[in-house]
Amino acid sequence: MSDLTAIHKPEITHTQLVKYAGASGDFNPIHTVVPVGEKAGLDGVIAHGMLIMGMAGEALADWFPRKNLRKFKVRFSKMTRPGEKLTIEGKVTGERMEEDEKRLTGEVSVKNEAGQLKLSGQFEVKI
Amino acid sequence: MESLLKEDVKLKPFRFTIERGKIREFAMAIGDRNPIYYDADIARKEGYRDIPIPPTFPTAIEMWGGLDFETLISLFGLDPLKVLHGGQEYRYLGELCAGDTITAGPQLISAFEKRNLRFITIGIHYKNSEGIKVLYSESTIIERRGTE
Repeated sequence: MSDLTAIHKPEITHTQLVKYAGASGDFNPIHTVVPVGEKAGLDGVIAHGMLIMGMAGEALADWFPRKNLRKFKVRFSKMTRPGEKLTIEGKVTGERMEEDEKRLTGEVSVKNEAGQLKLSGQFEVKI
Repeated sequence: MESLLKEDVKLKPFRFTIERGKIREFAMAIGDRNPIYYDADIARKEGYRDIPIPPTFPTAIEMWGGLDFETLISLFGLDPLKVLHGGQEYRYLGELCAGDTITAGPQLISAFEKRNLRFITIGIHYKNSEGIKVLYSESTIIERRGTE
């Protein structure tokens, strides 16, 4: 088990959610239109889950060569709002063989400054 | 009122051409500064054919390629204000880079209801232009039901 270098992201802004909506094509208004977020009972807009996974993916391609990534699986826990600052943490948990390929297995998580878990996941990379 | 699960829902295959500009825009929105997503020369030096896709880029392929939010809402009869993303999985089987055209074959994996939550899981197999499987994506969306 070895810890990977944590990645600290700048504060999430409304503008970033608008950019991510355009880039990803996910125009669900609960991510960008405050009155819609309020109507949905969310107390404002919430970040796209895939933006948070995207940040975890950024960390994976920082820790390992992008081309070695084989599997990346996450569960979304808590919602993220503009104003939150997230940190991505990871660790290598073991090794396994997939056919003839040796892989590292690991865990990744995204938390806010208060330590609230936003996302937890597993990954596999070719050694 | 409870809407019926549309078990017979037909998800249409679609094609998508990966472009450098879209990768750049996607990486910028995440705030991912990895140079392999911005500079083809750097990407080639690192051993890629061209600019590679970021790990979660398939979501842009899905949303822009045909399985966008509005389509899912209407296909499954969801309340757009109550839909959340529960989980996501990717299995990377081959390299995908700018310039590649891929075909996506989406299928409904499961749809069920549990404690006022409705879970819908969609799996998508992606093949490159030679018909070789390059990626599998599996996405679970959750609709919060009930009376809040």
